[in-house]
Amino acid sequence: MRLRLAALAGATTVLVAATEIPSPSSGDAANGARLYQACMGCHSIEENDIGPSHRGVVGRSAGTVPGYAYSPAIKGSGLVWTPANLDKWLTDPQVLVPGTKMYFSVSDPRERADIIAFLASQK
Amino acid sequence: MTHNPYSNPPHSTTPILDRRAALSCMGWLGAGTLFTFSGGIASVMGTGAAEAATGHAPISFVQISDTHVGFSKPANPDPVATLRETIAHVRALPRTPDFIVHTGDVTHLATPEQFDHARQLLAELPAPTFFIPGEHDLAGGSDPRPFLTAFGKETRGDGWFSFDLHGVHVIGLVNVVRLGDHGQGTLGRDQLDWLKADLAGLSASTPIVLIAHFPLWGLYPEWGWGTSDAAEAFGYLARFGSVTALNGHIHQIQRHLEGKVQFHTARSTAYPQPAPGQGPGPGPLALPAEQLRSAIGYSSAEVRHAPSPLAITDATLA
Repeated sequence: MRLRLAALAGATTVLVAATEIPSPSSGDAANGARLYQACMGCHSIEENDIGPSHRGVVGRSAGTVPGYAYSPAIKGSGLVWTPANLDKWLTDPQVLVPGTKMYFSVSDPRERADIIAFLASQK
Repeated sequence: MTHNPYSNPPHSTTPILDRRAALSCMGWLGAGTLFTFSGGIASVMGTGAAEAATGHAPISFVQISDTHVGFSKPANPDPVATLRETIAHVRALPRTPDFIVHTGDVTHLATPEQFDHARQLLAELPAPTFFIPGEHDLAGGSDPRPFLTAFGKETRGDGWFSFDLHGVHVIGLVNVVRLGDHGQGTLGRDQLDWLKADLAGLSASTPIVLIAHFPLWGLYPEWGWGTSDAAEAFGYLARFGSVTALNGHIHQIQRHLEGKVQFHTARSTAYPQPAPGQGPGPGPLALPAEQLRSAIGYSSAEVRHAPSPLAITDATLA
């Protein structure tokens, strides 16, 4: 009986988690720092590489880091990197800005929120 | 018979080197990795013994990886110089390799100038060279076509290919064009279908050598060091008695054995990266200048057809 209850409790937890949609601005920056390691094949906080540097990205206009060779698509996007736009970007950058160089996506809304929270802390 | 300082009794995994032989080979052993295969599984048998046992002449090949032409940061301010050193080592091998594979990140940022420069440099390699792209070789973030124009004219799809040499089947796979979760590589439906068809007519005793850029096993998925749909590919390969999968991308030696599949990751010729999970994340690892050449290099392989165990020896440019 205890096992059945435990299983039920687990199912309830999953159901609640599945129905919560995390706000892009409500993430866990510490977990975001861990998740950001997957971004570091192309990006870093301080230096341009395959992707532009990320220091101060939250609130910045897209396509404006000096010295980075942006695609015409991102330069002409007119986007500002608000948490909401970063959430769309990380969901599927090619949908938000067709033709951008970025092709890395994060399927889990919670993980996106955590990464955005980490980026917001890198002012 | 080619001089082989690694001549060893069959079934031994540890090369026997006398001091003179060891010293005589350090010039090139010190520059890379020696791994020999037999039946696609490595062998350290003498050349004549392997050939007599199987009727196949052994073949040898070299793997270079992650040359990053165009890179210039403290981890290696001059990767062109270390690539030239690597090429000199390959040219000085006691036996010219039958072919060479480059497992991607030929350039750092996939510009036309970097492709041209890399082509000029790599033209000095002493054998036909087969390339697959790394993610650094994709123009505009995801377009392999300029890379394929420079380095993969006779490939299919995003650059995959296969060929047979002396009974060994070599397959180049591209897993960098569409990323999976956490930035892991993917092979994709079209390539998996091609692979299935490519393998269909082969005997299960055919030694298979796979090359790819991202690791084909889940080395460290949190850093994207894996290929999310590789399991399907290895399902198609399950009937083969000998499968060796070589990759680059992570700039260090890592080995993994999974069933009959031997995975091996090569060093870069340009700069090292941290061990999986160590430090803030993946990226160029700046060592004291005098230590750089101890952390970069290349690999050379000898494919034999007699049953014997795998023996891999790793070394560096130092």
